[in-house]
Amino acid sequence: MNQTTVDNTEALGEFLKQMIIDTLRLEEVMPEHIENDAPLFVEGLGLDSIDALELVVAIEKNFNVIIEDEEVGQRAFSSINALTKFVQDEYKG
Amino acid sequence: MNFKDKKVLVTGGTKGIGKTVALAFASQGASVGVNYATDDQSASDLEKELQQMSSDYLLLKADVSSADEVETMIRQVLDQWERIDILVNNAGIIRDKMLLFLGEEDWDRVINTNLKGTYLCSRAVLKEMISQKSGRIINMASPSAITGRQAQTNYSASKGGIISFTKSLSKEVARIGITVNAICPGIIDTPMTQELKEATKKELLSMIPMGKFGKTDNVADGVLFLASEKAAYITGQVLAIDGGLT
Repeated sequence: MNQTTVDNTEALGEFLKQMIIDTLRLEEVMPEHIENDAPLFVEGLGLDSIDALELVVAIEKNFNVIIEDEEVGQRAFSSINALTKFVQDEYKG
Repeated sequence: MNFKDKKVLVTGGTKGIGKTVALAFASQGASVGVNYATDDQSASDLEKELQQMSSDYLLLKADVSSADEVETMIRQVLDQWERIDILVNNAGIIRDKMLLFLGEEDWDRVINTNLKGTYLCSRAVLKEMISQKSGRIINMASPSAITGRQAQTNYSASKGGIISFTKSLSKEVARIGITVNAICPGIIDTPMTQELKEATKKELLSMIPMGKFGKTDNVADGVLFLASEKAAYITGQVLAIDGGLT
């Protein structure tokens, strides 16, 4: 992942949607099904705390951004918009 | 059972059960990282055996109760092999004393090596296993955790904690493709049990329905089974290898 893509909010959002689909093997979900401001957990995509473990690892692998506790994770994963902003804020290149 | 291309880490792997487990994996084609805390001579002796088997191996000196040392050790393994398929949390010590005489240092050392070490090593490999969407974690428990034993409040508490840890962690990661199980070796003929008093050994023998101490090979067979594809649908379980003791 490079800085240009991270700085491009729309491209980063699309990347994150595809990352979530691939990481969690959501075979029936397309990126366009995921709304930018819809909750990812419980409602919306209906993800749970075990899905979050896989997403935490995927964020670290793709962006070298570490989510160290559950509270930070809950904020970061509240929606695609929130996750995009979190990655942009924390990404160090 | 074939473990070719599998990357294995065995803690406390240069003596006793851990050594037999490490050699068993190596004999089945696995790359084996062998952790030890202090005994360089045992590590050197094991290294000779691994070299004779033409094994791909790493000797990893680290205190499993130290988060920093565990992180460094796991980094070494990943730098070398880029993955970890199987973790065997075997490192363990005993400091047997009746509770009245059991000082805080002996309590902490046993809990920290046995239970905290299992937590630290499991946590350190978990990111990689989640990323791989596969992995096997096998923890060493003890009959002392199930039946209790005098002068082992520290040891039995640590091993009881390991059983509970095993069951809880197995539920966190089962869906991701990682299994977590425990082996409960009975009285096995190892350097650790050889330290027991003769009277204690006799008493223990009288409690084993099979009438003999187990061999480290018996335990290694169980570990390799739980690490194999044959145990793909087994998680959160405690497998007793104890001649009927429990």
